[in-house]
Amino acid sequence: MARMKNDYENSWWPKLMRWLDNGSTALDDRMEEEMEETHEGHLLPSPEEIAAQEARREERIQQKLTDELELYARAHHWSRTKGTKIADWAYRILAVVICVSIIWVLLQTASYLPSFGSPDNPAHNEVSRRYIEKGMEETGAVNIVAGMILDYRAFDTLGESNVLFVAACSVMILLRVSSDKKHHISSVHQLEMEADDRMYEPKDDLILQRATAFLVPVILLFGVYGLLNGHISPGGGFSGGAIMGAGLILYLNAYGFQKAQRFFTFTVFKAISACALSFYALSKAYSFFTGANHLPSFITPGTPGNLFSAGLIPYLNIAVGLVVCCTMYAFYTHFRKGDM
Amino acid sequence: MLDILRFGLSAALTLAGLFVLLSGIVGIYRFQYSLSRIHAGALFDTAGIVLMLLGVIVALGFTLTSLKMLLIICLLWLASPVSSHLIGRMEITINDELEKDMMVLDNEMVRHEKEGD
Repeated sequence: MARMKNDYENSWWPKLMRWLDNGSTALDDRMEEEMEETHEGHLLPSPEEIAAQEARREERIQQKLTDELELYARAHHWSRTKGTKIADWAYRILAVVICVSIIWVLLQTASYLPSFGSPDNPAHNEVSRRYIEKGMEETGAVNIVAGMILDYRAFDTLGESNVLFVAACSVMILLRVSSDKKHHISSVHQLEMEADDRMYEPKDDLILQRATAFLVPVILLFGVYGLLNGHISPGGGFSGGAIMGAGLILYLNAYGFQKAQRFFTFTVFKAISACALSFYALSKAYSFFTGANHLPSFITPGTPGNLFSAGLIPYLNIAVGLVVCCTMYAFYTHFRKGDM
Repeated sequence: MLDILRFGLSAALTLAGLFVLLSGIVGIYRFQYSLSRIHAGALFDTAGIVLMLLGVIVALGFTLTSLKMLLIICLLWLASPVSSHLIGRMEITINDELEKDMMVLDNEMVRHEKEGD
C-alpha cells in the first residue's frame, strides 16, 4: 500500500494538481524533500555511498575477524603451550603404564597356561592325535599343516580365501579412482591426481631395475616352488602367494605401471581371482559330497612325498596362492594409485 | 686343533658382526639427518649380517644349510644397498634444504653462526 501511495505521489497527476493549486505549504515541501531523500537512499544510492557502505562493512568484518582471532588465540594459548607439554608427558606415562599392564596381563595369563608339552594338555585331544597319526595316510600330504588346512579343514580355508577376495573388493570400492578407462585417460583432473604425490618420486631407477631384473625371477620361482611343494615341504598357498605378490610389487616399483599393465590388469585380476575361488569351491564341494570318510572317491591320496599326490591339496594350494598373490598386488596398486 | 681354530674364527666373525650391528643401532638413533642414518642402516644390513652369517657358516662347516646362508647373503647384498639407494634418492629429490642439512659444521663455523645473524 505504502509503495503504491508513494508512487502515486510522485506520479504526474498529483504534481499537476499541486502545481495548479500552487499552494504547497512549507511543511509539505519539507516532507517532500525528506521523502525524496529517503527514496534516493533506498533506490538509487550514489557510488560514493556504496563505496562508503562497502568500506564500513569491510571494517566491521575485519574487526570481527581480529576479535575472533584474538579469542581463538586466547582460547588455545593454554593448550598450545602448557597443554602440549602435559599431553606429551601424559602420553609417555600412559604409554609406559599401558605397556606394563599389558605385559602384566599377558604374564599372568601365561602363568595359568598348562605346562608346555605335557601329554594331558587340552590341545592334545583325539583330534590332533588323529591328524598326527593318520594325517599322512588319509590326506597323502607329508606336510601335516597342508593336510589339515586343505583337507580336514578345507571349508575353513575356502572362507579365508574369500575373506581375502572380499577385502580386495572393499579396497577397490573405497579407493578405486575411476572405473571408466576412457574417461580415466581423457580427464586432466585424473591425470593430475595420479601425478600428484608421485611427481617427484624417482622413476626408472637404473640400479633398482638391474637388481629387480635379477631378483624378480628368483622371487617368483621361489614362490612357485613354495606353492607347488606345499604338501611336501613347509610352504603352501598363503606363503607362496605372498612371495609371488611381493615379487610382482617389486617389478611394479622398478618398471612402473605401464610395463606391469602389460600382463596384470584389472581384467586379469578379476579372471584369476574368480576362477581360483570357483575352482576351489567346486572341487572341494565335490570332494565334500563324495570323499568324506568311508565313502569311495576317485581322488586318492596317492603316494605321500610325490609331487602329484595328496589328492586335491596341490591344486587347492595353487588356487589359494593365486588369490593371495592377486589380492596383495591389488592392495598395493589401489593404495598407491587407485587403479590397476 | 682344527676344531679349536674353526671355533675361534667363527667366534671372532660373530663378535665382529655384533660390534657392527651395535654401532649401526647406535648410529641410527644418534644421527640427526636421514642420509647419515641411511649410512648407519646400510652398514647394519650388509656388513653386520654378513659377518654374523659367515660366523655361523664357519661353525656349521660345508653343508646344505651353509649354502642356503650364502644365498641369504647374496639376497641381502642385492636388496639392502638398493633399498638404501632408493631412500637416499627420494630424500635428495624431495628435500628443499638439502644444502643446509648436508653442511658439515666445524667448530669455527658454529661459533660464527652463533655470533652473527
